[in-house]
Amino acid sequence: MTGGHRHILVVEDDPETAGQLVDQLTISGYRVDLAVSGSEALSRGAAIDYAVITIDRMLPDIDGITVMQRLRGGGISAPFLIVSALGEIDDKVRGLRAGGDDYLVKPFSFVELLARIEALGRRSDIVNETILRVGDLAIDLMSRTASRRGRNILLFPREFQLLEYLVRNEGRVVSRAMLLQHVWDLHFDPSTNIIDVYVGRVRRKVDDQQAYPLIHTVRGVGYCLRAPG
Amino acid sequence: MLLAKTLTSSTFRLALIAIGTFGVVVSAIFSYVYLSTSSYVRSRWDRAIMTEYSSLRSAYDRSGHDGLIELIQQRVADKSFAENVYILADPSLAALAGNLKAWPSTDVAPKGWTEFRAPEPLQGTTGHPLLRAMFETLPNGDRLLVGRDISDLDSFTDRIKAAVISSVVLIFVLAGVASILVTRRTVGRIEAINATSRAIMQSGLDKRIPLRGTNDEWDRVADNLNQMLERIETLMGEVKQVSDNVAHDLRTPLTRMRGRLEKAYHGERHGEADQALIGDTIADLDAVLRIFSSITRIAQIETQARKGAFRTVDLVEVVNEVVELYDAAAEPAGTRLSVAGDREVVVTGDRDLIFDAIGNLVDNAIKHGRAGGQVVVTTENIDGRPVISIADDGPGIPAEEYEHVFKRFYRLERSRYAPGNGLGLSLVAAVARLHDARIELLDNSPGLKLRLWFPGLAT
Repeated sequence: MTGGHRHILVVEDDPETAGQLVDQLTISGYRVDLAVSGSEALSRGAAIDYAVITIDRMLPDIDGITVMQRLRGGGISAPFLIVSALGEIDDKVRGLRAGGDDYLVKPFSFVELLARIEALGRRSDIVNETILRVGDLAIDLMSRTASRRGRNILLFPREFQLLEYLVRNEGRVVSRAMLLQHVWDLHFDPSTNIIDVYVGRVRRKVDDQQAYPLIHTVRGVGYCLRAPG
Repeated sequence: MLLAKTLTSSTFRLALIAIGTFGVVVSAIFSYVYLSTSSYVRSRWDRAIMTEYSSLRSAYDRSGHDGLIELIQQRVADKSFAENVYILADPSLAALAGNLKAWPSTDVAPKGWTEFRAPEPLQGTTGHPLLRAMFETLPNGDRLLVGRDISDLDSFTDRIKAAVISSVVLIFVLAGVASILVTRRTVGRIEAINATSRAIMQSGLDKRIPLRGTNDEWDRVADNLNQMLERIETLMGEVKQVSDNVAHDLRTPLTRMRGRLEKAYHGERHGEADQALIGDTIADLDAVLRIFSSITRIAQIETQARKGAFRTVDLVEVVNEVVELYDAAAEPAGTRLSVAGDREVVVTGDRDLIFDAIGNLVDNAIKHGRAGGQVVVTTENIDGRPVISIADDGPGIPAEEYEHVFKRFYRLERSRYAPGNGLGLSLVAAVARLHDARIELLDNSPGLKLRLWFPGLAT
C-alpha cells in the first residue's frame, strides 16, 4: 500500500454483508470505515484519503456509479472496486467506463475480494525492473522469456502473459475471472473450465521436474504463485 | 345475450353516430328540395295571377268600369279560366261582379296578396279549395281581386313532404337494421375470441380460436392469435422442461452438500477433515451458482438488450484466440486443433459473446469428438456472408437429434454423465439469435460439422 496506509472505505447498505466485509478486512489487517448510503460515502470519501474504496452499485439513495463519478470529479484518486449484484457484462463494462478500477460480482468469495483489493492498492507501486524473480524463476519482460535455474521454459505469448500476471501478483491469490480480465481482456466467466486447463498447461511447463512447485491452486478461488518458505 | 352485447358494443355506437350524421344531412337535402320546389311552383302561379290581373287592369284603363265588368263576366263564363277567381267590389266591399259571392275578408289594405279558403265550392270542384289572390283598389275606389285555386300546389307539396318523410324514416330503419346485423357479426367474432380466451384462462393453453376459412381480417386476427398461443404454449413447455431440469441439476449437488454437512454436524469436530469438507461444499456451491449465472446469462442475451454494444469484430482474430486458449484442452485429449479459411472475416457483434459461443463449440468438439482425432475451425466468407464452421471427426450426432441439442439442459443419452450442464449449446443458440446468425448442423461423415452463418454486412 502507498505510504503503508491500509485504510479502506466500504460502501454497502446490506448490514449482514457489510458486517462480514468489515470483519474479514479487519482480520486481514486493514482499517475499515463503513458507509451505508451514497451520501455518507460522499462525505467520508471526500474527507479521508483511502487506499481503496469498495462500492455497491445499488444504494438506497444515490446510485453507486454516481457516487463514484462525484468523488472522482472532486479529485479523489483512490481506486474504486465496484461490487454489484448486476452480474451482467454490460453493467460491468458500464461501471468500468464510468471510472471504476475493477469490479466484483455478488455473490463473491472473500478471498477474491481480498485479492482484488490487494491488486488495486498495489497499482501505484509501478515496478520498473525488466527482470522479475520468484524463487528460482526469472522472467524477462523485454525478451518475453522465462527460465528456472537458468533453463529456458518455452512459452506461447499468451502463456507468458499469464505467467507474468501471476509473478506480478506473487504471493497473492488470483481468481479465474481476474486472469480472464487481465490476460485475455474478456469480461465474463466462460461457461467451460478452460482457464483451469490452460493454467494446468502453463503449470506443467513451469513446475514439471523442478525442485519445488511455484503455481498453487487455491480451492474454489483460483491460483497463487509463490516460492516455498 | 348476443343482442344485448350487440347493442352495447362500440361498433354499434359508432354506427349510430354515422346514421345520425347521415340522417341529418339527408333531411337537410330533402328539406331544401321541398322548399325550393314549392317556392318555384308558387312563383310561377304568382306570375300567372299577375298577368291576368294586369290584363283586367288594362281593360279598366281602356274601357273603364263597365268594360272591366264585361271582361270579368266573359272570363267567368270561359271554361279555360275555370281555375281562376275574380271579384270586383265597391268601396263598401259589396260584390259587383265575379265568381266569388263576397269579398274574402274585411281586409282593407289598399293592395296586396292573400290566401284564403273559398267560402263555397267553385265550378267543377267540391269543398272549399285554397285560393291565392292579389287585390288592389282601383282609381274609382272599387276593389279588384284576381286569384286562382292553389289546392293543387297544396297536394303537390304534401306529396313531396310525405315522400321526404317516408324516405328519411326508411333510411333510418334500414341503416339501423344494417348496423345491427354488421355489429352482430363483429360482436360474434369477438365473442368467439373472448370465449377462447376465457377457456384458456380456465383450463389451459391447448384451446384455439375457430377460423371460418373466409380469410378476412377476422380470420387473420384469429390466426395470428392462434400462432401467438402456439408460441406461448411452446415456451411454457420449455420453461417447465427447464425448471424440471434445473430442479434435477441443482438437487444433486445440494443433496450432496446437505448430507455432508449433516454428517459433520453430528460428528466430532476435526480440524483437517472439517476444512476439506468446507472446501468441497464451497466448490459445490460455486457449481450451483455457475448454473444459475449461465441461465440468467442466456436469458439476458435473449432479451436482445446487448445489441446496443455491437462493434466490428474480426472473426479470424477471435477464432485464433479461442483456438489458442482451447488448445490447452485439446492437448491432453490428443486432439489436433487447427484453423483454416480466409484472412479476414468481419461481422458486427459482441466480441465477448462470440468468443464464448465459439469457445463452447470448440470445447464440445474436443469433448465429444474422437480422442486423437482432429477439430478444424474454418472462418470464411461464403456468398458475402461470414461463416464459422467447427468440424470434428468423432461419432457425430444422429440427424433426428439435431433440433433438440439447442434446448436448455438437453444432453444426448450417451453423454449424460460426462462433465457439463447442457447449457453450452443453448448459450450458442442465444448468441446466434442475438446476431441474427443461422446455425446449421451437418454430417461431417464421420463427425459433426456445425456452421454459424452470420448476416452479410450491409455496406
